[in-house]
Amino acid sequence: MTAVLEVRRARYALPGRGKGEGGRVLVDDVSFSVRAGETLVLLGRSGSGKTTTLKLINRLLESTNGDILVAGRSTRGMEAHRLRRGIGYVIQDVGLFPHFTVEQNIGLVPRLEGWDAGRIADRARELLSLVGLDPARFAGRRPHELSGGQRQRVGVARALAADPPLLLLDEPFGALDPITRAELQREFRRLEERLGKAMVFVTHDVREGMLLGSRIGLMQDGHVVFLGTPAEFRESSHPECRAFLEAAA
Amino acid sequence: MDVLRFYGDNSREALGLLSQHVVLVLASTLVAVAIGVPLGILLARRPRWRRPVLGFANVCQTIPSLALFGFLIPLPFIGGVGARTAIVALVVYALLPIVRNTYTGIVGVDPAVREAGRGMGMTDRELLVMVELPLAAGVILSGIRVATVIGVGVATIAAAVGAGGLGVYIFRGVAVVNDTLILAGALPAALLALGADGLLGLVERRFVWR
Amino acid sequence: MALAGWTDRRIVGSLLLATLAGGCARSDRIVIGAKNFTESDLLAEIIAQQIERRTSVPVERKLHLGGTFVCHQAITAGQIDGYAEYTGTAFTAVLKQEPGPGADSVRRLVSNEYAGRWQLVWLEPFGFNNTFAITVRQADAERYGLKRISDLAAIAPRWKAGFGYEFLERADGFAGLARVYGLQFSAPPLAMDLGLTYRALADGNVDVIAGNSTDGQIEALRLVVLEDDRHYFPPYEAAPVVRAAALERHPDVRRALSELAGTIDDAEMRRLNARADVRREDIRAIARDWLARNLP
Repeated sequence: MTAVLEVRRARYALPGRGKGEGGRVLVDDVSFSVRAGETLVLLGRSGSGKTTTLKLINRLLESTNGDILVAGRSTRGMEAHRLRRGIGYVIQDVGLFPHFTVEQNIGLVPRLEGWDAGRIADRARELLSLVGLDPARFAGRRPHELSGGQRQRVGVARALAADPPLLLLDEPFGALDPITRAELQREFRRLEERLGKAMVFVTHDVREGMLLGSRIGLMQDGHVVFLGTPAEFRESSHPECRAFLEAAA
Repeated sequence: MDVLRFYGDNSREALGLLSQHVVLVLASTLVAVAIGVPLGILLARRPRWRRPVLGFANVCQTIPSLALFGFLIPLPFIGGVGARTAIVALVVYALLPIVRNTYTGIVGVDPAVREAGRGMGMTDRELLVMVELPLAAGVILSGIRVATVIGVGVATIAAAVGAGGLGVYIFRGVAVVNDTLILAGALPAALLALGADGLLGLVERRFVWR
Repeated sequence: MALAGWTDRRIVGSLLLATLAGGCARSDRIVIGAKNFTESDLLAEIIAQQIERRTSVPVERKLHLGGTFVCHQAITAGQIDGYAEYTGTAFTAVLKQEPGPGADSVRRLVSNEYAGRWQLVWLEPFGFNNTFAITVRQADAERYGLKRISDLAAIAPRWKAGFGYEFLERADGFAGLARVYGLQFSAPPLAMDLGLTYRALADGNVDVIAGNSTDGQIEALRLVVLEDDRHYFPPYEAAPVVRAAALERHPDVRRALSELAGTIDDAEMRRLNARADVRREDIRAIARDWLARNLP
């Protein structure tokens, strides 16, 4: 079975100041693949390159080297916005549109793709239930009427609206209080099993990573220094792994 | 009051001048919006142009209105005596508030909203039309409101160059030192400015997104 | 910060002295005003320089003050001591009389009224008559055979008129003109700053204006003045009007200004106006030059 996502020797350097002189390298020679039903957690400190790597996948940043394939096709060949409509994207600050209702927010990509209103409404209701929000109560609300946890649930629902094969999540629960965060983590775990999608989940929280990831990719200074299951991570003797484990203990 | 009696005796003329005034302000504001909003959007996309463009608009704002009319009169096409020259000058004055507010409104959109929109596959145009403009609408309207109120005031000077409007009463009154005439022009101009400010303020409030 | 210091008191003291001195000096100088058009400025400058060269009285100028009524208010309030006024304007606009009498009666009546009511003295006229000039483009005058104002009645319904604000408001202005000559224009006249009306006529924005018969731009812009065949406009003889009090204080001023009587005819005034409006020469230079040549 082909991997949903294949990252081959991706590299990202900031634009340099002089000619022929590259700037700082944020991501260097990173490779991994993710299958359907798998969640790869990109773990690392701030500045390790994990968010940058994520943005290379949906081309919010353009990789300077290497190749990235989604569902077997190189991302370089497609138009960026076409690519992104096929990938779910969830960010820490959620970014719901304040002037759209919850239903309109969820239905964004379907609307861009031209679905008819009835189909969008049905899909929104279905997804609201999936993320644990009562459609009758929430479909017509606006983002400012929701709590942080509720907003991020809508954010996940929005990312799933067009049923993309791949989901990218950038520290989605980072801005929530610990109780809400734990609650959402638990529900997300159940969602992973139900949906069977390929996911890349960025976090700096090792416990979250262990809970939600089928594999963990530990990044340090732009390189992937460990790639393996949570069990393998716990046994690893790599200093960065040990550092994370100690900090979590 | 003398002014009311004056209106009673000259109702047709007064209404004519009032409608001329409204046309001057309306036409110039519409043109300024048509030029200024796209210009503001452009500045939001190309931050390097912001300082020179806004700086230029700022300078235009400081030119005394009578002087600007005077400069425009000898120019071919847009000059000459009459309403057209006045409208050109009024457009110049309306530009700064509109351009600056459009820029501020668009740049002020929550970056998370922009990132989410782009990340989900919105094109630049879709982002602009569905997200940035509606969210910036309140601030943009505020700029249009300011421009309109300025326009009502400057349009009274337009009477000096034959553009008509309520300024005609004011100039006539000044020429013969007649307070009633001056008031006959100044009063409705002030009321017009207040009215425009209030009305646009109401519309603006509908576009505040929390 | 109390005004206790020695230096502070000196400063306040000097300021007070300067203010008083400024006020007192008022009786030593003469202030000459002018209406807001070129000819008035020129005449004011001639009056001012004549006083300066023949007497020892210092003269302050307040040129381009405003319209007729502004200057009238200024002189009756004592803010200016003199300016050049026109008998017809004083007669119809200020004294609100019906136009009709001849030049001499107008002059006599105006003289008496101004002296009696406001203690203002009309000195001898300069010698020209600057009446309102109903002006059209030369090409139009030829095409439609326009020589007199009466000829306008036929074409007025298809034409646009443009006037300055004072002409629109005055009793001897547009309203009376339209009535006496039966003029009905296609729309109410376009109102603008008087100086712009020539440009508006030349550019074709309007078809007829009310300029001044001694304006310098008439020939330069290829315009034609129509004859006032129904004698609607009163005679407008220009003369210096001065406050009696100022003349009493400085008797040699009266003598100096009487030299100006009858020295400028219509053509001469037009030439002087042309130097200022068309050739854009400095008004002070024109006045100096003229006085040197005509009253050495």
